[in-house]
Amino acid sequence: MSAISLEKLTKVYSTGVRALDGLDLDVGDGEFVVLVGPSGCGKTTALRMVAGLETISGGTVRFGDRVVNDISPRQRDVAMVFQNYALYPHLSVAENIGFALTNKKIPSAERQRRVRLAAEILGLSDLLNRKPAHLSGGQRQRVAMGRAIVREPSVFLMDEPLSNLDAKLRVQMRSEVLRVHKAIGAATLYVTHDQVEAMTMGDRVAVLHGGVLQQYGTPRELYGRPANLFVAKFIGSPEMNLFEASVSGDELVLGSQRLTLGPAETVLAPYRGRKVIAGVRPEDLELGGGAGGAALGADVRVVEMLGSELHVFFAIDAPAAAASALAATAGEAEAGLLTGQTLGGVARLDPRSAVRSGQRVTFRVDPGRLHFFDPDTGAAVR
Amino acid sequence: MSAPALAPPAPPDQAQARAETRRERKRRERLEERDATIPVELYGLRQGTVTLLTACCVLFAAFTLVPIVWMIINSTKTQANIFSSFGFWFARPFEFFHTFANLFRDVDGDGTYARWFYNTVLYSVVSGVGATVLAALGGYGFARFEFRGARLLFAVVIAGLLVPITLVVVPLYLVYAKVHLINSIWGMIMPSMVTPINLYLMRTFVELSIPRELLDAARIDGASEARIFFRVALPLMVPGLMTVLLLSIAATWNNYILPLIIFSTNNLFPATVGMGLWLQHAGNSGDTNLFPLLVMGGLVTIIPMIALFAILQRYWRGGLLLGSAAN
Repeated sequence: MSAISLEKLTKVYSTGVRALDGLDLDVGDGEFVVLVGPSGCGKTTALRMVAGLETISGGTVRFGDRVVNDISPRQRDVAMVFQNYALYPHLSVAENIGFALTNKKIPSAERQRRVRLAAEILGLSDLLNRKPAHLSGGQRQRVAMGRAIVREPSVFLMDEPLSNLDAKLRVQMRSEVLRVHKAIGAATLYVTHDQVEAMTMGDRVAVLHGGVLQQYGTPRELYGRPANLFVAKFIGSPEMNLFEASVSGDELVLGSQRLTLGPAETVLAPYRGRKVIAGVRPEDLELGGGAGGAALGADVRVVEMLGSELHVFFAIDAPAAAASALAATAGEAEAGLLTGQTLGGVARLDPRSAVRSGQRVTFRVDPGRLHFFDPDTGAAVR
Repeated sequence: MSAPALAPPAPPDQAQARAETRRERKRRERLEERDATIPVELYGLRQGTVTLLTACCVLFAAFTLVPIVWMIINSTKTQANIFSSFGFWFARPFEFFHTFANLFRDVDGDGTYARWFYNTVLYSVVSGVGATVLAALGGYGFARFEFRGARLLFAVVIAGLLVPITLVVVPLYLVYAKVHLINSIWGMIMPSMVTPINLYLMRTFVELSIPRELLDAARIDGASEARIFFRVALPLMVPGLMTVLLLSIAATWNNYILPLIIFSTNNLFPATVGMGLWLQHAGNSGDTNLFPLLVMGGLVTIIPMIALFAILQRYWRGGLLLGSAAN
């Protein structure tokens, strides 16, 4: 049985805006699930509905086998970390952490023991008498975590808890949060807009867009087998290269170039003579047109040296995936944004590669690494 | 290697934890404020403009302060000197303490100033505290809860702002007579407790200074709504509540028209109405020697208000929410 299960969870605001549309999601005991998506995708709304801070327009929220739809947040017994921490500014760190226990009328000795324990886990022991104003951003974040873990919750909710930290601290706190999660073992629902956070932290990741669940799976599944164009573009950085292509026999026509797909690509059989969207991850493009793969000629436009790798932005004469195709999954408003940068593509190469801008290069592509999407629905062709 | 000079500096935690005396803190805050202020030289104004504007401000300040200066100077004079000597300078004999003592005696059987002063304090404090409690509850309610008719209700309350009490004197009197509030201290206190401006102020204050997220966090933490109000919201509302307290005390303190209507017994008068009575007497018969008492009475009446402003202003500093949120 799942610790948290959402069934057809829907939120329609009184303005008619459908913030969340039929979300099905289950979080197992002790599982760390990340809800990820661009801003306005409904992820925070979903979390607030699980917490009881938002009324539910449709569907059910279950903790274990208990339906909690009509139960107030007070009685749901969930712990939550807020984006802005929401610490009580007039209370000390100890009082902040112990606030929930005071509300439960837990005896003072027991309360202090649990506050001290939580403080120890989070390295806050020396700061218990401080007021939040005298803490650094990272310390405040820890206090917010402490306030949640002290309750020994069975359901743990986090709403972009790291988004207010600087980049370095954020990376540090990622592992910190996971460590705490392992220590308390509560089913956790974690909301973020950062796909790197989602990939690195989640046991499973749910990608939301426009209030609709796009795909729910392990980070490996999302990256390796994206269910549609939106997930393909959203997960991974640099983004997957997407081109409009057509299928002719067992060849893929990309502008003036033809890539031999090999007999394995029978999935494309229904698309013979039609258009399809072909995608390839930047790291699946290798320099040099050697044997054992299709060759793709490209003009290098910009080379970015990152130290550990080289990002090579290139142009080919195939049109980038059309806005209309992306709109099928991405929604009208963002379709333009999504295609804005795809006039060419990008390859992630070994930093020692001798590639300069303006050069003509040939990439080798393993046809097995290509992703295909239906140009009308955006769904993956498998 | 083990030279003392190489000893690590005290970690910032400890340095910060060392108690800063009150005086040090005030000094630091004053300096920080000065550093944070853009100096006039950088405003890009011409020197002539600055001088002109400063002169205007000085003139305006003088205009407002002159009556108070006059009152202080003339509180030291005899009645004759008040009329015959130069108004902005002292004249012998120095009668300050004599007049002050007289103020608290029953001078003419009209009721004494002491009694009126006591009434003023009573009405102001009780209605001030009452107004603050109501504003806290109402402001919080309007700011942080959504309920049917909230907008309409608030609009009605605010409409009350536009109606001066002088306009409703007659109906007020008739209603009061029916419900036996004429010559009752509650007739004075109850309407003074209900002030639309305070509700408006508190609503705005709560909206700006108490994030919803904070209340949500308390709900998640299992606090009841009452506990959220008292333990989380109320402490953060203190600066706003102090403003409301001060404004409503001052409003009742200076109220003249309402007590004038509802009180006909001398010993229920507040200082404003009582001194109004004196002024009538003094005007009718020039030899009552009431003018020095009027001047002194006026001075004594404004001093508590000035003191209250001075005491409560430290609550305006704000920054109470510091550290709650991320930044």
